[in-house]
Amino acid sequence: MLLTIEPDGPVPIYQQIRDRIVEAIATGQQPAGSALPSTRQLAVDLGINFHTVNKSYDILRQEGLVRINRKSGAVIRRDAASGPPEAGWTQDWTGRLATLLAEAAAQGMTPEQIAAHCRAAVTGFAFPDPAPDAQEGQV
Amino acid sequence: MTAASLTAILAVLFAGVSLWVAPALTRPTLQFGVRVPPQHTGDPVIRRERRGYYWRAAAVLLTSAAAALALAGSGLAGWAAIVLPGELAADFGCFWLARRRITAVKDAQDWFAGLKQRVAIDTSWRTEPLRYPVKWLIPPVAVLVATAVIGAARYPDLPSRVATGFAASGAADRWAAKSLWNSFAKVAGQLWVTGLWAGLLLIIYRSRPDTDAGEEGGSSRRYRSFLGTYARAVLVLVTLVNVSLLLAALRTWQVYRLSGIAAALPVLPAAIGLVILLGVAVRTGQAGSRLAGPAGAGGLAGGGGAAGGGGAAGAVNRDDDRFWKGGLIYINRDDPAIMVGNRFGVGWTPNLGNPKGLLLYGGIAAVIIGLIVVRVLLAG
Repeated sequence: MLLTIEPDGPVPIYQQIRDRIVEAIATGQQPAGSALPSTRQLAVDLGINFHTVNKSYDILRQEGLVRINRKSGAVIRRDAASGPPEAGWTQDWTGRLATLLAEAAAQGMTPEQIAAHCRAAVTGFAFPDPAPDAQEGQV
Repeated sequence: MTAASLTAILAVLFAGVSLWVAPALTRPTLQFGVRVPPQHTGDPVIRRERRGYYWRAAAVLLTSAAAALALAGSGLAGWAAIVLPGELAADFGCFWLARRRITAVKDAQDWFAGLKQRVAIDTSWRTEPLRYPVKWLIPPVAVLVATAVIGAARYPDLPSRVATGFAASGAADRWAAKSLWNSFAKVAGQLWVTGLWAGLLLIIYRSRPDTDAGEEGGSSRRYRSFLGTYARAVLVLVTLVNVSLLLAALRTWQVYRLSGIAAALPVLPAAIGLVILLGVAVRTGQAGSRLAGPAGAGGLAGGGGAAGGGGAAGAVNRDDDRFWKGGLIYINRDDPAIMVGNRFGVGWTPNLGNPKGLLLYGGIAAVIIGLIVVRVLLAG
């Protein structure tokens, strides 16, 4: 997986790392079962404090996307092929999505434009072939 | 000419040529230790300073080589060893001048204004790491063991006084009472060189690769290929240095005796190893910047005009000049890395902002200084 961060950007680095890993899972670059570098290795490669990486991995673990194991390190726990999301997750996500879409509406985008952007964003994701359930769950 | 002055001349030539080609071995976005956005790699100041550096460094090389030759030919052969530090200082001056002029224009025109500065990595470097070339450690260790075995076999038969220095004619001119130290100093040298480089390469294999933002995939692949090749060339050099030390030890142990210029024989394997390493460095470039693929090399004489590393998304590498003191020494307290890639020439440098990097550097320096002190004390 290729990971790019903007160290001096407005978004906190731990958030950027978390976001890039979630995107890599969605695009199929990091399928379920694939390994992530250890927190120390990722910190050395990005030239940042390893507590920052720890924080990202901890968020991913709480979100159920990553499994952290003393022996095997950090491993991706689930992806699009792992079935529908856990109970309660969709409700939480819908709340955050509403804010994001509200920004577009407030800036004067039409419903068609908003929907077109959503479709464009999803086309890059890797879904398992017969996936009506997963599609419904995502958008 | 004596063996010692031939060694001094070879060192002057090698250092001069290595530093002369150095600007061509780094990627176009690093010019004399200055981080340059891809949009500015063909800037007039960079073309001018590169041209200027090649001329000045060539003049330094020719002057130093001529001085070393003249000293070797005269009765002052011992002074030929003084030329190398002078040459290094002059080359550093050339580097410093180019760096200062490029930095001045970069700051005045604010080259990084409005650019998104990024750090890019390829996580497969960790999840599918490059294998350490363990098999390539066999030849240097084999030479070391052979030297120790020959020494152990010869030691009981050595006379009570052994030669520790050799004159121009190849005849011994310094003697000392036989001791384990002066009989086995060359084996200790082999142990030090082999251990040091095996250890440093281990750290380097675990260090971060130089990856270009906007060109992450390609630069990461080139780095793998570069490290694999360069590490093997380093281990070939270590093998040949050990062969050099073996030849020098055999002379101390009175296995053979050569006179005149032939007395320089022990220097030859190490010199060949250095030429191989330089050849590999020129072929690959620092971090593989001269290997085939997009965003490849800056030409030797050209201005490195082709934009390298500029991704479609307009991502540029982070301007990290503030962590590089004098463009050569890396000090970044927030960076957990122990070693990072050089910014000028091919190789790696420790992060002196990291206590482990400082310890590593201090340790190596202490051993080198210790060896020199021991040598001076023994000679005195």
